[in-house]
Amino acid sequence: MRKFFYAASALALGACLWTGPALADEDDVTAWRLFVSDHAEPVVNVIDALDGDKLDTFRIKGPASLYRTDSGQTVFAVQGGAGAVSVISTGIAFHDHGDHGDIDVDEPELLDTTLEGSKPAHFVERQGNVAQWFDGEDKARFFTEKAALEGKPQVREINVVAPHHGVAVPFDKHAVVTIPNPEDASKRPIGARLVDVDGKQIGEDVACPGLHGSAGSGSLYALACDTGLLLISQDGDVPEIRHLPYSDKLPEGSSSTLIGGKGLQYFAGNYGPDRIVLVDPSEQDAFRLVQLPTRRVHFAVDPIRSKFVYVITEDGQLHQVDVLKGEIAHSLKLTDPYSMDGHWSDPRPRVTVAADKVFVTDPLNGKIHIVDARSFEKAGEITVEGKPFNIVAVGGTGKAHEGEGHEHAEGDHAHEEGHKHD
Amino acid sequence: MTLFKKLASALIVITFTLPASAAEKLNVIASFSILGDFAQKVGGDRIELRTIVGPDSDAHVYEPKPADAIAVAKADVVLVNGLLFEGFLQRLIEASGTSAEVVEVSKGAEILNDPAGGHYHYNGGKAVFHEAPLDPHAWQSVANAKVYVKNIEEAFCKADAEGCPAYQANAKAYGAELDALDKEIRDTVASIPQDRRVFVVAHNAFRYFEHDYGITFLAPQGVSTDSEASAADVAGVVREIAGQRATAVFAENISNSRLVEQIASEAGLKLGGSLYSDALSKPDGKAATYIDMMRSNLATIRDAAGS
Repeated sequence: MRKFFYAASALALGACLWTGPALADEDDVTAWRLFVSDHAEPVVNVIDALDGDKLDTFRIKGPASLYRTDSGQTVFAVQGGAGAVSVISTGIAFHDHGDHGDIDVDEPELLDTTLEGSKPAHFVERQGNVAQWFDGEDKARFFTEKAALEGKPQVREINVVAPHHGVAVPFDKHAVVTIPNPEDASKRPIGARLVDVDGKQIGEDVACPGLHGSAGSGSLYALACDTGLLLISQDGDVPEIRHLPYSDKLPEGSSSTLIGGKGLQYFAGNYGPDRIVLVDPSEQDAFRLVQLPTRRVHFAVDPIRSKFVYVITEDGQLHQVDVLKGEIAHSLKLTDPYSMDGHWSDPRPRVTVAADKVFVTDPLNGKIHIVDARSFEKAGEITVEGKPFNIVAVGGTGKAHEGEGHEHAEGDHAHEEGHKHD
Repeated sequence: MTLFKKLASALIVITFTLPASAAEKLNVIASFSILGDFAQKVGGDRIELRTIVGPDSDAHVYEPKPADAIAVAKADVVLVNGLLFEGFLQRLIEASGTSAEVVEVSKGAEILNDPAGGHYHYNGGKAVFHEAPLDPHAWQSVANAKVYVKNIEEAFCKADAEGCPAYQANAKAYGAELDALDKEIRDTVASIPQDRRVFVVAHNAFRYFEHDYGITFLAPQGVSTDSEASAADVAGVVREIAGQRATAVFAENISNSRLVEQIASEAGLKLGGSLYSDALSKPDGKAATYIDMMRSNLATIRDAAGS
């Protein structure tokens, strides 16, 4: 694995000399890790996002989609083709203390826990509760992140009528599950249903034809449909679902994939191949369209600079979309073109954010491009064997108190090759 | 265009612009409804006010919206409580990129340490521990509310010198109303028998009221970051209720009442109504202003005490 960062920041130089988490203030520790799956090979690489070093490679059963939990303690590798879901402890944990947060940094670890089933697909985690959907089964599975990390997930199952490509959203004592199309379960679901822990329906079903795509933003969880968004919230004992119809002002279209803002409560969705829609459910005029120059390949929210969404388009440009202004603020050519023609699951770039960098996989060139999130200029790249595809990041900065054993000793992970700094 | 013409057109622009900007209102953001009321009382019709966390809403769990950030970006003055009350504040300020002064209006107030290191909020069927070593609910003391008002007056004067006399006059008039409110609370509490002055709340937001006026509030105490109020926490407050002979249990406008109902049931106490802690009511409610809120709380306490 080769890597180079264009700017030899003090942080990066520090990382050259010392392979543990970067130190900022006296007792502040910064650690960011990238988890990168391969498009063809059953592996997940773990890369130190601060210096590009590979920390580990985990062999799993098949190529995986990756999902991180809100806590950042766990990454789930959903291997649809191999019928397995692997659990990875990221080795990074935070403990909030109001005026500061503590950080624990340990080795990442592929846990023994594996869920097996037919066609695992959509994964949702909320407040430590996990719902794993299996397209080939008539039951959704529920467990807690804590139990998965401890290696003994007490899996609870809820019947979802028939196998279908749906999703379940977990709450403490309830879940929202999709309703299969009664005429043909292979088509998209027709709505959503609130159930209790025993799978007993609560209230009326809520129509949501063509349901596909879901995301959380703060206390709201959204499901995308042909007619608008279903917004799920819980203020009292029982979650509530309400329908937010698309505005009449929008052109014909709908969303089928969503991402949710961090730090600001909003959603971004596709709206046709070359537009995205920004959704602020609190506003009278909730929907704003942003035109892209070419078709969208992937997008991700910036969890730190919360007003930005990054979109990679098939012409190889990464766009920084300002959610407040509802427009593209900057664009940067990063990769060769990746046409959206062809199979939906062909290898194409994916985007994530770690600290002050945006990371974009370039599977056909075996690279991860690094972009400085503040200047929006290219800041380096990491060469990865194979076809680096799905990518998630976990990490942050916290206090490490003396004597708690948070920090790695020097040499905890080895540099494979020297750094190149321009 | 000649230099003369350029200057002439610039002067015309200035001539037409000045009256317009003078007529513009001070663009004020208040982080939550109680500050919004203070700001409106001081600012009167000279300010354009937007309150971020509205009536009956909990600022601790509020998620700022893009529209909030857009509004903060355009603000002249941003009023916040501080003391880790608004968990969303830093994210919102950063996202907005605002150059407005962010005024922490609790500055200079008499602030209480929280020996428990924080308190619970109850939202979405969950207990959420809010770590805050300094108790942020300082407005529950009317004396502190007067400090808030003074800070708001100074912030408005700094941002709009021309309007300063109006802000000062408004603050003075409102200060007199707060003095009357303070006396009213003291007089009412004095009428409550000493042995009927212990009550129970779920969200420990009334320590300043307790400190200033001599009403004791018991609440589940938490010292960990675990998000759930444990059975032990509830059992602890139930024991305290028995030990201190509490009179009633109060619900709250920003929380559901499941936990207090459980406590009341286990302790064999009655529910004494709802108090307003961190937010005003909607305009048609009993606590649409700060003064109405304090009066409503006072009446609820008095009635529950049977005075």
